[in-house]
Amino acid sequence: MVKDHKESSLPLLSINSLQVSVESNIILKDFSLSVSEGEVHVIMGPNGSGKSTLSHVLAGKDGYNIIDGKIDFNGEDLLSLTPEERACKGMFLGFQYPVEIPGVPSGTFLKEAVNSVRKYRGEAEYDAMQFLSLIKDVCKTMDISDQMLRRPLNVGFSGGEKKRHEILQMALLEPSLAILDETDSGLDIDALRTVANGINGLLAPNRSVILITHYQRMLEYIKPDFIHILYEGKIVLTGGMELVETLEKDGYAGLELDSAKKK
Amino acid sequence: MVHIGKDTKSRIISKGISAGKSNSTYRGLVRVQPKAQNSRNYTQCDSLLIGSYCGAHTVPYIESANSSAKIEHEATTSKISEDQLFYCRQRGIGEEEAVALIVNGFCREVLQELPMEFAVEAQKLVAISLEGSVG
Repeated sequence: MVKDHKESSLPLLSINSLQVSVESNIILKDFSLSVSEGEVHVIMGPNGSGKSTLSHVLAGKDGYNIIDGKIDFNGEDLLSLTPEERACKGMFLGFQYPVEIPGVPSGTFLKEAVNSVRKYRGEAEYDAMQFLSLIKDVCKTMDISDQMLRRPLNVGFSGGEKKRHEILQMALLEPSLAILDETDSGLDIDALRTVANGINGLLAPNRSVILITHYQRMLEYIKPDFIHILYEGKIVLTGGMELVETLEKDGYAGLELDSAKKK
Repeated sequence: MVHIGKDTKSRIISKGISAGKSNSTYRGLVRVQPKAQNSRNYTQCDSLLIGSYCGAHTVPYIESANSSAKIEHEATTSKISEDQLFYCRQRGIGEEEAVALIVNGFCREVLQELPMEFAVEAQKLVAISLEGSVG
């Protein structure tokens, strides 16, 4: 399909009045968001407001009922794609709790992932030598040793190692949209800086990031374009850094979310 | 495994994989004969379940005729979880490839003891025999 100029000015991701339930509880209602190429969106919100549900629905995890709404990713109907198709088309989810896979060395997993994506895109797969030289530089920036690549994926990794490893995967897979679900939680200051550098290194005019976070700390390193406050399944406020400042000072009470919701 | 002489040591590692509606059973006899002074055996049985309709059974038989023998048996059963599959798929790895990857991780301890050409063969066999076992 030949793309014309009109199409390329469409947003990369557009979510329209999405309504999602888990079992019989409605988690997201009338949720809309539009992300254009190169933008960094931050989503904040109290616990249970639907942040992780959003990231899971975007990545295609089972167990969520999409009651209503539409999601377009790169002009395609996202909800009709399998999780692996979404990944191959450039969507990356940084997990809040990366999953352990015993017996599979993390290096093997990374090679498998990179080659799957390359195969899907019709590119030649890397052999072991090519892959090793590719991964070497990225590992250095993310402070990950060769020895760590031989350890089983996420098994016995510390909190910081898990999150750095997520960003390493992101850097290798070069997604067009990265959704990072609380990637900054549980990190010490050095690891936070490493992770932030990794994310900043990925930012490019044709890449976008949705950052889900609870804290201002990460935003000292990464400059967001928009900050959204998610409350009871809906974005009730959108703004800039001033929202975060109010939050840090007065908490969610200071934002008067209930009155914002009615507007 | 039969221990005849003194100070003999043995180790058994069994890895069983059940998919679909299959059941796997491990039956293993460890016998220590009267003269096998201070002999030792360690047995480890790991079972991996794929799907919700399969099962794994472990039946160790231990016959010891020498009271100085030490005989150990450990068994585990694990399942490929939805979360593991989703994690792999989110990284672009297809569902069947993901199962093969996780299963090979499960058998790695055993496969890596095999000579290179067998190990490669075994890995491919695992992948082929699991084709279509998901979903």
